[in-house]
Amino acid sequence: MATEQTRRQLRARLRWGIAGIVALFFIALAYDMPAKANKVIDRVNGMVALGIPHISVADFSLGLDLQGGAHLVYQADVTAIPDGDRATAVEGVRDVIERRVNGIGVGEPHVQTTKVGDEYRVIVELPGVTDINRAISMIGGTPILEFKEENDVPARDLTKDEQKQINDFNADAKKRADETLKRLKNGEVFSDIAKEVSEDPYSKNNGGYIGYISNTFDPTLYNWAQTAAQGDQSHVIENEAGYALLERAGERAGEPSIEASDIVICYLGSSDCDAPLYTKKEAKDKAQEIFDQANASNFDDLALQYSTSQKRTDSPEAMDALKKASAGEIIGPVEAGDGFHVLYKQSEQPTVEYEISLIFIKKQTILDILPPQDPWKPTGLSGKNLERAEVVSDTISGAVQVSLQFDSEGTDLFKSITERHIGEPVAIFLDGQPISTPIVQTAITNGRAVISGNFNLNDARLLSQRLNAGALPVPVELISQQSVGATLGASSLQKSLIAGLIGILIVMLFMTVLYRVPGLVSVFSLSLYAVLTLAVFKLIGVTLTLAGIGGFILSIGMAVDANVLIFERMKEELRQKKSLKAALEDGFVRAWSSIRDGNVSTLITCAMLIWFGSSFVQGFAVALALGILVSMFTAITITRVVLRFIIPWFPQMGNRAFWGFTE
Amino acid sequence: MMNIIKYKNISFVISSVLFLVSVILLATIGLKPGIDFTGGSLVELSFVGSRPSVQEMRDTLAPLSYGMIETQPTGDDGYILRMRFISEDEHQVLLSTVRNAFQTSTSSTIQIDATASTTVEAIAPSVIEQRVETIGASISSHLKSRSLYAGIAVILAIIAYVAYAFRRVSKPVQSWKYGVSAVIALIHDVTITMGVFVLLGKYAGVEVDIPFIVALLTILGYSVNDTIVVFDRIRENLVSMGSDRLEQAIVDGVKSTLVRSFNTSFTTLLVLFAMYFFGGESIKYFSLALIVGIGFGTYSSIFLASPLLYSWQQLAIWRRGRG
Repeated sequence: MATEQTRRQLRARLRWGIAGIVALFFIALAYDMPAKANKVIDRVNGMVALGIPHISVADFSLGLDLQGGAHLVYQADVTAIPDGDRATAVEGVRDVIERRVNGIGVGEPHVQTTKVGDEYRVIVELPGVTDINRAISMIGGTPILEFKEENDVPARDLTKDEQKQINDFNADAKKRADETLKRLKNGEVFSDIAKEVSEDPYSKNNGGYIGYISNTFDPTLYNWAQTAAQGDQSHVIENEAGYALLERAGERAGEPSIEASDIVICYLGSSDCDAPLYTKKEAKDKAQEIFDQANASNFDDLALQYSTSQKRTDSPEAMDALKKASAGEIIGPVEAGDGFHVLYKQSEQPTVEYEISLIFIKKQTILDILPPQDPWKPTGLSGKNLERAEVVSDTISGAVQVSLQFDSEGTDLFKSITERHIGEPVAIFLDGQPISTPIVQTAITNGRAVISGNFNLNDARLLSQRLNAGALPVPVELISQQSVGATLGASSLQKSLIAGLIGILIVMLFMTVLYRVPGLVSVFSLSLYAVLTLAVFKLIGVTLTLAGIGGFILSIGMAVDANVLIFERMKEELRQKKSLKAALEDGFVRAWSSIRDGNVSTLITCAMLIWFGSSFVQGFAVALALGILVSMFTAITITRVVLRFIIPWFPQMGNRAFWGFTE
Repeated sequence: MMNIIKYKNISFVISSVLFLVSVILLATIGLKPGIDFTGGSLVELSFVGSRPSVQEMRDTLAPLSYGMIETQPTGDDGYILRMRFISEDEHQVLLSTVRNAFQTSTSSTIQIDATASTTVEAIAPSVIEQRVETIGASISSHLKSRSLYAGIAVILAIIAYVAYAFRRVSKPVQSWKYGVSAVIALIHDVTITMGVFVLLGKYAGVEVDIPFIVALLTILGYSVNDTIVVFDRIRENLVSMGSDRLEQAIVDGVKSTLVRSFNTSFTTLLVLFAMYFFGGESIKYFSLALIVGIGFGTYSSIFLASPLLYSWQQLAIWRRGRG
């Protein structure tokens, strides 16, 4: 028998328990919503000088599917690397990719390596990246920097056999062409034969018809078209590539061919302006000034002196102006995207285009047997000998350049290359394209080189960044990409939160209707459960994914399971005429083994799912497991304390409001 | 209150028929595998303004040699395109093909939300790429084998756990029989769920992906959870009533846990339906798989697992009587 004193002590302890639970609820709630909580704290501090400190405003870390971003999986091709060094090489890939993605400068990129079976993979997660295409090209593009010298190895001659093979083939081609001509003469339809025998895919597919040809077309064939009349068919015409049979239809006037000179004055902000000397207004004035003094005889000199670019312009504005001008006229200033132009139209020739059909039979040439010789051959000096690259500007012209400093091996190589080739060109190749072919003036011994391609500042900066980040030690291949746009992410987040809210409200309603007063207590436990689980997610830094929120929502359903078990058990005990108090205690004790066994089986599944791996699965399993653990605490401990606290308010045997059934 | 032992044959017939039909469906038609398991690409596009018709989309995409491109409308303004694994370059070609065909004029400028944390493009393209997934063959085969291992591991772990949980009860039913009955019930649940998805795949184009596997594994855990609660009660009844009154122990056990089983499943189904209707496209079929599986899980823990335990025991007694 509990004495009055111990009863009072128990009651006091319960009161502390309740206070603790309420405090826990508000602390967790404040932790979940720091921004709102800090506002409340400010107001309280404003009224009473308590000096409550602010809560740190940390946000939930959202997965890529909720905030948008990209998840990329690269496979590293390590076949060229000896077994023992593969892991190191892949780590190298990771480091390089990490440096490159840091250059993108969005979110917190995450790069890691995994080994699946014998395959090495690098996983790149880029949260919040909107331009995924750019990110992918930054990551995968291996900048290959190579120095090449002129290829002085002579191409070999054809062997006798090879020459004979070509001759035989071409004799046969000629024979076939002659036979085709014979068939045409016999009145067979041109287009039918073209479909059957033409070896030019376009003409074959279109029944020989290839449309209008202009003077930029193959000269032999164009010349024939010029001399022929409408409806004529040609004899066998031979050109470099093979034998042609033509049929001419109509003709029409083509674009006139224009011969012209161009002076362009680019300005700050116009395209392709590497070293701007003028503002837009100054450039216009300059162009006007040049136009005023230009005439047919001094135009070329003016161009050499003033034009800021020697390239042929491709601006449509300049082209249009030239078309409108008459021959011999000087016009300007013409405003275009790449600056102000002064243009001298020297002459204009009308051209004619001819509509033709073609049957073509290919010859074999020396190139079919021997590939064309590369004019450049590698020197052994490459980007891996690079110590540092930086952007510099030429002190005289102001042009943007990329300066290279080689390591000691590279310095030696560069020295011997430049010694060998004084007065000759050396080519600098980037990603297989020559970007600069300077002539070597003297031997360079200090290991410094400058690339003065046609850079603008951004290109130069990007190139030096990429060179500094280094080449990938092994090639990588993108084998999986999962990216989610920011809008879809935001809408997924919103929808899943709404679903969670609706779910939890329906469950609360259901519990209240079903179990009355204890139901209300479980509603309170459930609120605490939701608030607490979110706080735990935040505290241990669980990344919230759509799957995670799914797991959390599902765990709401499971969280009430413990309460349902307990309350059903309590009802049974009450039916056996036990007092409310005894029924409560027995209900909890008896329900425990079911709660434990049931939840353990789900936890086992979660453990397996976490082991199973992919991030979707883990997000779900972690959220579900944490949800179950928290629910066991709230549904059992919290519900019990609250029920013990409120039971003395009710009749000893309970009442209808309590259980919802009558005896 | 009906006696589930008395009507056990009805539930056995229902379960057997559903199970067999599901097995036949799985063997003949089979699940429709998504790109998670076959490798391939999925591109989700949404259109600002009017969405082109399926035929227009198909005509636009026809010149691309990306094999068969499956075009499926999604939501009010979008399309999901599925095709073979495409490289990033091919992906960009696809995007620009669609944009060239359906991009409306530049009038689609949108106001940038001042509170948005990321800087969205100032001019919203009228064809927005919402989602891209490309999965190479090595990833998909890896996912397939991992899914299988995970399934086997979950089943083994659960058998071990049930046998452990019931280790002290060996009379009159050996503890491992509880485990095997529970596992038969859960295989029943999972197989029927797969059968339902074979039909969904055939007639609604629903594909099986990683979330579906996760749903199946969760059903495994949940189904056994339900069964354990019932068995737990039977175990308790056997202790209080005596081991010779198995039938009564089972009938009472099921009866007294029936309300609980129903209420728990019902609350779980409530949240799952909330997820299904309000949770968005991405978790729709994940929720549906759970709804089907948990529904059958509840049924099987009441009408299948316990009668099974009883019949098995009767069989053993009958054999002993003969031998």
